[in-house]
Amino acid sequence: MNGALTDRLKAIFRDIETDDVRDGRLTVLAPAASVLSVLRLLRSDGYGYLQLISCVDWIDDGQLEVVYVLSRYLDGEGGIGGGPIRVVLKTRVPRTNASLPTAIEIYPIAEPYEREVHELFGVRFEGHPRLTPLFLEREYEIPPFRKDFDTRQYVEDVFGSVPAVGEESQDS
Amino acid sequence: MDRNQLVKWLEAPAKMAHKYSLHAVYFCTGCGIIEVPPTITARWDAERFGVLPTATPRHANLFLITGYVSVKTLRAIVRTYEQMPEPKFSVGFGSCPINGGMYWDSYNTIKHLDRYIPIDGWIAGCMPRPEAIFIAVTHLWTLIEKDMADGYKRYREHYDEYRANQERVLGKLEWPPLFPMRKDQ
Repeated sequence: MNGALTDRLKAIFRDIETDDVRDGRLTVLAPAASVLSVLRLLRSDGYGYLQLISCVDWIDDGQLEVVYVLSRYLDGEGGIGGGPIRVVLKTRVPRTNASLPTAIEIYPIAEPYEREVHELFGVRFEGHPRLTPLFLEREYEIPPFRKDFDTRQYVEDVFGSVPAVGEESQDS
Repeated sequence: MDRNQLVKWLEAPAKMAHKYSLHAVYFCTGCGIIEVPPTITARWDAERFGVLPTATPRHANLFLITGYVSVKTLRAIVRTYEQMPEPKFSVGFGSCPINGGMYWDSYNTIKHLDRYIPIDGWIAGCMPRPEAIFIAVTHLWTLIEKDMADGYKRYREHYDEYRANQERVLGKLEWPPLFPMRKDQ
């Protein structure tokens, strides 16, 4: 039964790779161009819940991997049609000018997740209505979750340079 | 009332009143706030020490900063602190407000809170037990008695420097200065 979804995905999208189902989890690797189509198919297949959008910085490959974790609600039989409970959809984009189409029209909940990935990893989501900062207050030259962001240097430059106030500042 | 303290009451009634009616802002930041509900409720009962939580900073005079301070939280902390009426006492709770604690190399966490608002005392630990809050409160009594809990006076005195440090991290602040800036005069 578990093979059914994999076979169907492979039949429709020739350029995707799938992994074996482990712990009820199917991993799908898709190119950036077909991400929306795969998401749309999975959504119509019962994976109505986008758990999160995450991102991994593969700095040696010069790529950012955006990860969509989808799941379905269980019915009495342990899943509609007995498919895997969770689908992990991964796609890779180049680190420079990283951009992906937004998934909001398929999963409205993608809005905050995409804002988060945008501000922390610098992936642009084309068509997103407001890619404004979600958590951060400051401007960062390099998005802070990228591997080449030097946190210690940043802390030294920004917070280390704030002087002490009052008597303490006169002592030092 | 403790009869031994009668002289103190007669000498400095306002000071004694400040000591025994510390109203803490119920301000939640970081993980330290987990320790506060048992502290103020039946298990440890902070009211024995005259400490009560208040819903608004405008009725409070004790500010417990209970954990790591992100840049966004600092904005809220400064706003809260400036709204409190004087005299006000602020206590940093846990290692993180002291020097960043385990977030010492985090890109978005304030390392030394006393550079942005004045702090009257620190409770070290990660996390401090609720008992540590009571030790801090009794220390604070001593400080108030000796006029050493003067954070709010320092804030007035060095307001330019505090405001400059706040703006350095938060960018332009959207509210006007609490006190007249020295360079304006």
